[in-house]
Amino acid sequence: MEIFSSLLSGSGAWNPLAWLLAFVVAAVIAYLIWARGERSYKKGTEQTAPFISGNKEPPKGDLHVRAGNLYWGYTDALKGYYERIVPLHSGDMNDYVLWYLGITALIMVIVVVFS
Amino acid sequence: MKPTRAFNESLWAFHFNSGSCNGCEIEIVAAITPRYDPERFGIKLVGSPKHADLLIITGPVVKKMKDRLLRVYAQIPDPKVVMCVGTCGISGGVFYDSYNLEGPVDDVVPVDVYVPGCPPRPEAIIHGVVKALAKLERIEGVGQ
Ligand code: SF4
Repeated sequence: MEIFSSLLSGSGAWNPLAWLLAFVVAAVIAYLIWARGERSYKKGTEQTAPFISGNKEPPKGDLHVRAGNLYWGYTDALKGYYERIVPLHSGDMNDYVLWYLGITALIMVIVVVFS
Repeated sequence: MKPTRAFNESLWAFHFNSGSCNGCEIEIVAAITPRYDPERFGIKLVGSPKHADLLIITGPVVKKMKDRLLRVYAQIPDPKVVMCVGTCGISGGVFYDSYNLEGPVDDVVPVDVYVPGCPPRPEAIIHGVVKALAKLERIEGVGQ
């Protein structure tokens, strides 16, 4: 039958039923692990809070790793560039439209002069 | 609450230092060395109170540690037993009238087993663990 046949491509075989079977097996294993877990913990108490050597859990926001932390080395290496470019991001729509019109005018001038 | 099969076969302990001088810690570490090897009976120290049945407390509970002790105690799943190791935890010991104490331990959390000594010998600590196990079995009604 068509449904049981595999799709053969340059990078291997693709059979949706095999994938479905793998998913079901993984789900059953996950359920068995979950079902053997400790159920007697008390919800909403310290027993569900993370253990941080007995210290109080800080607010979630304070633990957040910002994108700036990930790109620190990158932005530091290009500091000279970012120091000029960041102030231009004023968040003011008028500024952005002004830049847009200015650059469009410049391109038109270049096109007219060199065409 | 019925103990699980795994629980019957082992007793996991979490150690909490509430301001001890480190003397009791050295003896606890000595108690788990190969000379005594309590791990062959399933008794071992664990790194998180969430995995523990037994809380071993050393030290007289200084002000800074009271909240942390209460939090760790609350994080141990029931049923649990608490063992106080050392004179400091039992009475305050040499620090008994210090301005900085919230203890002794049983002023902060209920204690099931006391192991006296400054510091107690490893044999005494292991004896205390056996008593703690017996207490847990009594709580559970095992063998009744
Ligand atoms: S009981 Fe003795 S050895 Fe243990 S913490 Fe107190 S002073 Fe140190």
